[in-house]
Amino acid sequence: MTTARRWLPWFALAAAGLLALAAGIYFGGNTWDRTSDDARGKDAGVLFGVALPDATGQEQSLGQWKGKVVVVNFWATWCTPCRDEMPEFVKVQRELGGRGLQFVGIAIDQPDKVQEFSAEIGLNYPALIGGYGAMELSKALGNRLGALPFTVVVDRSGRVVHTQLGPLREPSLRAIINQLL
Amino acid sequence: MATLLAASLPGVVAAQPKLLEPERAFAFSVQALDDKTVEARFAIADGYYLYREKLRLTVEPTALVEVPMLPAGKIKDDEFFGRVETYRGRVAVKLSLDKPEPGQKVTVRAESQGCADAGVCYPPQVQNLTVALPAAGTRPGPPVEATPARKSWFN
Repeated sequence: MTTARRWLPWFALAAAGLLALAAGIYFGGNTWDRTSDDARGKDAGVLFGVALPDATGQEQSLGQWKGKVVVVNFWATWCTPCRDEMPEFVKVQRELGGRGLQFVGIAIDQPDKVQEFSAEIGLNYPALIGGYGAMELSKALGNRLGALPFTVVVDRSGRVVHTQLGPLREPSLRAIINQLL
Repeated sequence: MATLLAASLPGVVAAQPKLLEPERAFAFSVQALDDKTVEARFAIADGYYLYREKLRLTVEPTALVEVPMLPAGKIKDDEFFGRVETYRGRVAVKLSLDKPEPGQKVTVRAESQGCADAGVCYPPQVQNLTVALPAAGTRPGPPVEATPARKSWFN
């Protein structure tokens, strides 16, 4: 065997190892600080313990949706990319609501603006209103930069399985949800 | 190879584009140009923009001679807000102070709101910077930055 051929398997293994490490770092960005499964369950607990008013001022506890596949979307009317993706959420909610999907919007915004936009797009899922506290909640869920839109997907057993900063378009959204329903 | 990759992926997937902290995307600085003028500046990173309409500059404790003249921005056709003016790159606004004391310290407060082309928007930011006014006829003071430039391996 030539020298190159003898070392090739080792190089391949090292390359694969490095790739796996890189993938782990890239995809694991949000869980960099986590050390155990308990942390993941805990994040969803943080979420389900929250109560926020809806646009009519009525307090809604997020815990009421535990057991469903919950997609919590942090947004605002002053955020164009947020407004952009919501009609798709409405569509998917309409289609898959019967199978246990529940979108919940948390607007870092003013009630009147939220109501106006909700009516405009025919919003068919709860729009809760939050301020600084809601932004801090999104940070606790991994929104390090405090930017919008920020979306969290929780499975039926109450575990956070996906977080996304930036638009979450229909194809990706469906791919994630279909696995959980 | 596939198993190696799968083993290193945690149960939670976090999709997060490479984005800057707002203080770094919209770096705010102030410089006292003379005994009665300060200049407020934003150095906006590539791929980010500020809304002109949302920019507010105020000064304390001295009053301003006039409402700050914000430069014209680039027209952007926003899907929901229609035609808006945005700032990219560098923007500077001169603030003329009304009868300041010699050597006075003034604080410039900037309220701004911006987004990234990548598809996120930041909530309104408020930043304050304090500078000392130089004596009349002397050189401008040094620029004061809100976020000193720093290099990080992760950025």
